[in-house]
Amino acid sequence: MLAISGDPAEDLVLTGEAGLPTIHLTSRRKMQLGSGDPIIGTVQGVWPGIAPEEAGAHKAGPTSSVWIDTNTGFLRAVRAWGGSTVWIANTPPEKTVITTARYLQAIADAAIIGARWVIAFDGGLAARLGRREEAAVGTWKRMGALLAYFERHPEWRTMREAGQLAIVQDPAKGGLLSGGILDMIATKHTPVRPVPKERLTPQALTGATMAVNIDGDALSAEQKDVLRGFARGGGTLLNGPPGWKDPAPSGSAITLEKAELERLGDMWRDVNGMIGRRNLGVRLFNVASMLSNYVSAPDGKSALVQLVNYSDYPVDNVTLHYLAELPRATLITPEGAEKKLEVYKTEDGWGVDIDRVSTCAAIKLEQ
Amino acid sequence: MTRREWLALISTAPLLKAAPDAPAAPVSIAKCASYDEDVTGKLATMFDQLGGLERLVRKKTVTIKLNMTGGPGVRLRGMPPAMTHYVHPKVIGATAYLMGKAGATRIRFVESAWATAGPLEDVMLDSGWNVRTLLSAAPGVEFENTNGLGKGKKYSRFKVPGKAYMYPEYVLNHAYEDTDVFVSLAKLKEHADCGVTLSLKNCFGIIPASIYGDDAGADNPNEKPTKGRSDVVHFGKRQPAKIAPPELYPGVGIKNGGYRVSRTVADLAVVRPIHLAIIDGVESMAGGEGPWIRGVRPVKPGVLLAGLNPVSTDAVGAAVMGFNPRAERGTPPFRNADNTLLLAEAHGVGAADLSRIEVRGVSIADALYKFQ
Repeated sequence: MLAISGDPAEDLVLTGEAGLPTIHLTSRRKMQLGSGDPIIGTVQGVWPGIAPEEAGAHKAGPTSSVWIDTNTGFLRAVRAWGGSTVWIANTPPEKTVITTARYLQAIADAAIIGARWVIAFDGGLAARLGRREEAAVGTWKRMGALLAYFERHPEWRTMREAGQLAIVQDPAKGGLLSGGILDMIATKHTPVRPVPKERLTPQALTGATMAVNIDGDALSAEQKDVLRGFARGGGTLLNGPPGWKDPAPSGSAITLEKAELERLGDMWRDVNGMIGRRNLGVRLFNVASMLSNYVSAPDGKSALVQLVNYSDYPVDNVTLHYLAELPRATLITPEGAEKKLEVYKTEDGWGVDIDRVSTCAAIKLEQ
Repeated sequence: MTRREWLALISTAPLLKAAPDAPAAPVSIAKCASYDEDVTGKLATMFDQLGGLERLVRKKTVTIKLNMTGGPGVRLRGMPPAMTHYVHPKVIGATAYLMGKAGATRIRFVESAWATAGPLEDVMLDSGWNVRTLLSAAPGVEFENTNGLGKGKKYSRFKVPGKAYMYPEYVLNHAYEDTDVFVSLAKLKEHADCGVTLSLKNCFGIIPASIYGDDAGADNPNEKPTKGRSDVVHFGKRQPAKIAPPELYPGVGIKNGGYRVSRTVADLAVVRPIHLAIIDGVESMAGGEGPWIRGVRPVKPGVLLAGLNPVSTDAVGAAVMGFNPRAERGTPPFRNADNTLLLAEAHGVGAADLSRIEVRGVSIADALYKFQ
């Protein structure tokens, strides 16, 4: 049993029975980053999903992919501080029909980063569940099955981001905002690992081949030396534009203001040009409606690529190319048994094909 | 009006005079309700109805221009692009298999992929295609993105003989010159600017964005294009990179894609002749060429078409879609466009007059699927 107190919009306190931790779910800017608490959390999050345009059509043109609203960038930034499990307690948007698929996406959006979404029903579903309507119970069962899928694999939460692209950022600033550089990189399916500037050491950049220094002026001389050493060692370093200040969340806002977004666009063009379509650990194909996460076990003997599909349709024929010398691959999905995948050589590493992804899938790579 | 009455009308009462010298060639039509049917068998029958592939491709290099318009991530209702606006990999694989069986030594699939000069294989994978399956469909299969230099060392120049509509010369990827046979593998669909996207309009995509793109260099090609060709070709806001000559009549048809694109397509059909036109109309979309056009919807015409003359093939294709292939500007489907088929016909590329075109296999009346 949990006792709930406080202001749901700002500072929710969950007090458990004796022996269980007390959990503070605060605004993003009040989160105790690096506190060492076993669980830290926030009540603020975007509702995950493909962002609709005003007219109802999805944000798209001949050139562009859809934009996916997600908390993954924020959760990555917070997780980069260390061992705390992150809880995110955002609620479904009001006056919106929330389908079962959207609930599953909300669970998976947090879970692929090793975080947990605090389940919250919209008013309609809560009422229908209260009446035990069959469809509502079906939704709840599917949510339970997806939660059980992630709970069956606690080891996934201990794995760390393993891509070759590092983003040096103050997690107390831009890292707390959704829709920023981390989310932009995520839409390209480039594996990225945020490095808090306070933890910027040569070891933190081990294995990275590219680094983006978001807010150069915020670094100490020692931290700047680390990046110089990275570049001297053959790494590609991109610095933010002169005068650029990584925006921090203000008030209740957790997304970038329009002007900040436009300014960030200049930096994004440089980042995009630098990473192009290079394989920086893994490269995914036919995943326009998905987001992904690439993590590796501490001993390097296995890695995991997780996928979440935010469209209302299953996606057939997804291809994964990866660089690590891990020639065995297994597909793990919430729907069924594990399946060994055929692994084939590609120009720069290995490849596997996945027949179909419904809401989510994981590809485990092993020696 | 019944199907047969409608066909009789468009066959005997053309709105514009046909060019009497333009060559006509037979067109084969087959019904194919889904990509799960025997696409290879149906295409084999169609090619046989046209006289056989062997005499066309044996011991030859064949270049096949695919229709992959727009980025692969832009989708209609989340559907795979091949089910709506890209040609389907089943049709591509079947074509490659039959070409290989007929003795082609090299089969090169090409497209100027949207806003990138990266490997075409990457775009195919992003479209959900199995590239390894396509590679194994026949010996000598390869891919090239022709949006820039690609695998070539220099561009090829294609001068328009006689009087061009738009540009006196087109500067293209080497693949369009280094080939014995050129095939347009198109989708049966409409086009917002051009009326219809069939085998002729498909070849608008042979123009490299490195030279004709919105971010092409003023002087030199930009080998890393990230945009389309609207500013230069569609709307005439600027000229191509100086490696290519500017348009002949700057200021004419400005901001009028239906004027400019139609003429460019007709020019291209002259400089890069199409030996075989194949049109995938098994599943498609109506209302435009891609999901970015408002009001488009998925459709299942359930047909495949092939012909040895692109204008004749497109004329039959337009008729199968329920359109008069000789319709004038302002008339469906050419509401905002000059009729590319007639422009190409006037260039002498081929006949768009249904009364001169022999249809083999299924009749137009039996294949008719009205897009509007």
